[in-house]
This record gives sequence, structure tokens and C-alpha cells, in this order.
Amino acid sequence: MIKVSSLSKTFTSSIKEPGIKGSLISLFHRQKQSKEALKSVDLEIQQGEIIGLIGANGAGKTTLVKILAGIVHPTSGDVKVLGFTPWKRPNEYRKQMSLIMGQKNQVWWDLPALDSFLLLKEIYQIPVAQYKRNVEFLAETLMIKDQLKTQVRKLSLGERMKIELMAALLHNPKVIFLDEPTIGLDLSAQKAVRHFLREYQKEFRPMTILTSHYMEDIKELCPRVVIIKEGQFVYDGALSKIQGVLGDEKVVSVTTQSETFRIHVPRQDLANKTHQIFQEHDVIDLNIQDPSIEEVIESIMRTGVHTT
Amino acid sequence: MKRYVRLYLYFLQFSFSKAMEFRLDFSFRIIMDIVYSLVNILFFKILFQHTTLIAGWREDQMLIFVASYILVDAISMTVFSTNMWWLAFQINKGDLDYHLIRPVSPLFFLSLREFSANSFMNLLISIGLLTYALGHYADPFSWSDLFLLLALLINGALMYYCCQMLLILPVFWTQSARGFMDLFYSMGIAMERPDRIFKGWLRVLFTIVLPFALIASFPVRLFLEKFNWPTFLHLVAVTILLWILMLGIWRRGLRAYSSASS
Repeated sequence: MIKVSSLSKTFTSSIKEPGIKGSLISLFHRQKQSKEALKSVDLEIQQGEIIGLIGANGAGKTTLVKILAGIVHPTSGDVKVLGFTPWKRPNEYRKQMSLIMGQKNQVWWDLPALDSFLLLKEIYQIPVAQYKRNVEFLAETLMIKDQLKTQVRKLSLGERMKIELMAALLHNPKVIFLDEPTIGLDLSAQKAVRHFLREYQKEFRPMTILTSHYMEDIKELCPRVVIIKEGQFVYDGALSKIQGVLGDEKVVSVTTQSETFRIHVPRQDLANKTHQIFQEHDVIDLNIQDPSIEEVIESIMRTGVHTT
Repeated sequence: MKRYVRLYLYFLQFSFSKAMEFRLDFSFRIIMDIVYSLVNILFFKILFQHTTLIAGWREDQMLIFVASYILVDAISMTVFSTNMWWLAFQINKGDLDYHLIRPVSPLFFLSLREFSANSFMNLLISIGLLTYALGHYADPFSWSDLFLLLALLINGALMYYCCQMLLILPVFWTQSARGFMDLFYSMGIAMERPDRIFKGWLRVLFTIVLPFALIASFPVRLFLEKFNWPTFLHLVAVTILLWILMLGIWRRGLRAYSSASS
């Protein structure tokens, strides 16, 4: 179980005016600037649950995940994960936890994946039988069997992410933190990763926190969603309650001879609306996209769904 | 403990298989290492053309000293140097995250992970050199003398590592990319001189604060001259203090890292 109570984190950093003059000033007089990354948040997650954590860049997602993983010390508040205080980093906790960051790699570039795995087997003291079973199962489910003996740096981005996932799950963690696992991947690789995560969750029932920029990830994997905005949770509840907002809108960007504009259109009106646009304007370019995370959060706030 | 030995065996295995890939670099490094040894020997050979004693040592004794610090240097180059090089950058860039979440000492991992197989020949050459120097040593010595010398030289390599760490660890706070590494390399030369040449505050600096003179010179002095407790205990005391200091700063550094990391 994960229990987070009134958790806050404030970063202080010194700011410097640009240029050499600024550097000279900062030598003698540092101006401090503090930023509240998390403002007294509460959260509870049960064994077997997977939650989606969404928010704009800099909203505090990664900070929360890093505190839970034990990398970051909070400023105040209390956290218990499986009964442990993460930032004290007891080995019993670290053996049952795993963190995957889409933007940082943990397997060694110059080694084939299997070599990295052997090292992890030793680090986590995974029994031989369990190790063999897991390598088999994970490679099978991720469809990456043939790449295990290739040096990781020679693999594609998608393949590398799959290796990262394998590496992080070899020791059957009870708690998994996935920070942007699909970032930068192409659509088919995103799909494969999502498919894998669903299968894995079904098979092993760990507690999982998933952060992502892609609404698809959240929609497919997380029955429960937490929305974070400027360090505060603005929504914590069932995905189904906000599903309408999530799946229903498309953003149409239009460029004409004279102007450029974007409008939000409900999915069912899309055909009519675009038809209308073509009739009314002299269209050069028209683009239909999913709304960005920021826009989704905005519309959820607008429609007035509140913390349950 | 056994787990750490096994992990280290993996590090060795990986490093060697990686080194085999870059053969040109491999042979180039060997030549560089031989030149380094020769320059050091020649330096003292030239000095001995003008005098018969330096800091109380004859030429055959000095050769043992030269071979000793070359051995310490070789151990440090092979075991630690690549790791030290990366460590400063990793701290600076905030790349310790994955090391903090594993159930294994991050210090062990970060200090020993990259065994420099390329410098391994250097290690063999320096062992050969020390054997040669001992063969040409005029005075008698016992096996236990030799054993003590080797043990203290290994201890010296660890002290060298601690000193290096002490000058890297400020990166946790300074945010400069290399810490005081240049300072380390310019002062490291103190290891390559007999400790008797340091007097006054320089002696305090190099035998207590940054004990470069204790790395090779004290062990060799205990070997060449009669074993004496004050020198030995001085060495032991400084070793212990150095470790306590280094580990303490490392812990505080990690703490600073955890508070600042975002």
C-alpha cells in the first residue's frame, strides 16, 4: 500500500542575471528563488491498483514519483510505501520497488541486454529459477527475444524501452513507478508497450503509478486517474467520470489565406464542422489532433468535475 | 560481501570483453604506460649522476620507491580512474537516480563499475618493475617485510582514491563540472617524491591534510629503514580519518543531491 499524507516539496535555486555582469553579481550576492513543486498532497493506493498521474510539464509529476522512489527528500509530510519510508532507502524497500524513466536509461549501453540482466540478477539476488522464468516471460510478452544478445546502443528507441522494462521487472517488484515510459516512441512501439503493461499488470498485480503525456496510455491502462496542476491534485477519481471529456474532443487547427485558428470540436460533430469550415473559409491547411494534456485538464476543470 | 565479490567479477568480465573491441586503443595505452615508467626512472637516474643519496636513499632504494608509486598509480588507473572521471559528470548532471534505487551500495557501484582493462598491462608492467627493483636491492629483507610493503601500497592506492574523491565530491555543491580535479592532479605529484623532502607546513599538508606522502613514501620507508611504530601508526590513523571524512562527505553529498534533484 502507498500512503502519502500532506506531502510538500519546495526547491530552492539561485538565480543569475544573464551575461558576465550577472555572474559577477552572483559571486557576491546570490538571489534565492524557491519553487513549490508539491503543495500538501494526499494519496492512497492499494495493492494491485494502477493509477494514471497526469499533468503539464513542471506540474510536479516527476517530483512525486521521485519522492516515492526514494530519490528525493520531501520538505514536509509523510510517505509510507509497503510500510517503508522511501527516502531512507532501506534495502528491503529497494528490492521490492522499481522505477522506469522514459528519459533516462538504466541498462548499460555497451553491453548486450542479457549481461545487464545478469548484473541485476546479482544486485537483486534473484533466484535462478525465477530469473529464467521472468526473462522468458518478459521477452516473450515484449516480443524482443532476438535482441537480447545485441549491445543495447545498437537497438532502436522502441527496442531499448522494452529492454528497460525487462530490466526493471526482473525482480518482480511490488511497486512500480513508470515515468513517461512511452515518451518519444513511435505509435507501434507505444502500442506494444501499452499492451505489455496491461498484460503484466494482469499477471502480477503490482501497485503501479504511471505518468504520461499521451492520453492514450492513461485511457487504456488506468481505471483511476490523478490530475496534478501546479503541485496540487485537482482530480483524483475514476477515469470513467472524466472519460467524456477525454475521448470526446478533437482540436481542429485551420490555416486560411488571412488567419490561423484552433477550435475544439466534439467528435461526433467533426464531419459537419470541418465541412462547414471548408465552405466558409479559404482553407490552406487543416489539421485534426487530440487535445494536449494541458487542454484536457483545462476542459475537465471547466466542466466542473471535482475531487471526490 | 560475497555478493559484492561476484558483482565485481562481472565488472571485470564486462570490461575485458569491451576492451577487446578496441584493440588499437589497447596497444596505444601499453606504449604510453611504458613511456611513463621510463620517464620516471630516468628522472631519478639523472639526479643520481650528481649525488649518491636523495632524502637518505641510495639509487637501488630509490628504484624501489619509484616502482612502488608506479604500482600505486597503476592500481588507481586500472581500478578507479575511469569511474572517477565519470562520477563528477554524473553528479553534476543529476544522473545518480538509478544508482539510488538499487539495493546495493551506490558508492561501490560508482567507484568500481568501470575496471579499465586497457590499463591492465600497466599493472603487470609495474609489478614486473617492482620485482626487478627488489632483485637489485642490496640489503636483505624478509617475506614479512615484503608482505607489509605490498599491503601498505594497496592501502596507499585506497588513500589515493579517497583523496581523489575528496576533491570530486564538492561537485555536489559547487555545480562545476569537474570539482577540483585539476588541483588533484597537480598535487598528486607529491606522491612521487620521498616524504623527507617536505618540511614545515608542506609536510603537514602532505602527511595529514591531503596525505599524498603517505601513499608510497611511508610504506617504502617502513620497508627500507627499520620498521617503527610511530610511522606505522601515523599511516593507520590518517587512513582511518581519511575514510571517515570521505564517507561522511559522500553521505552529506547524497543528501544534498536528494534535496536538489527534480
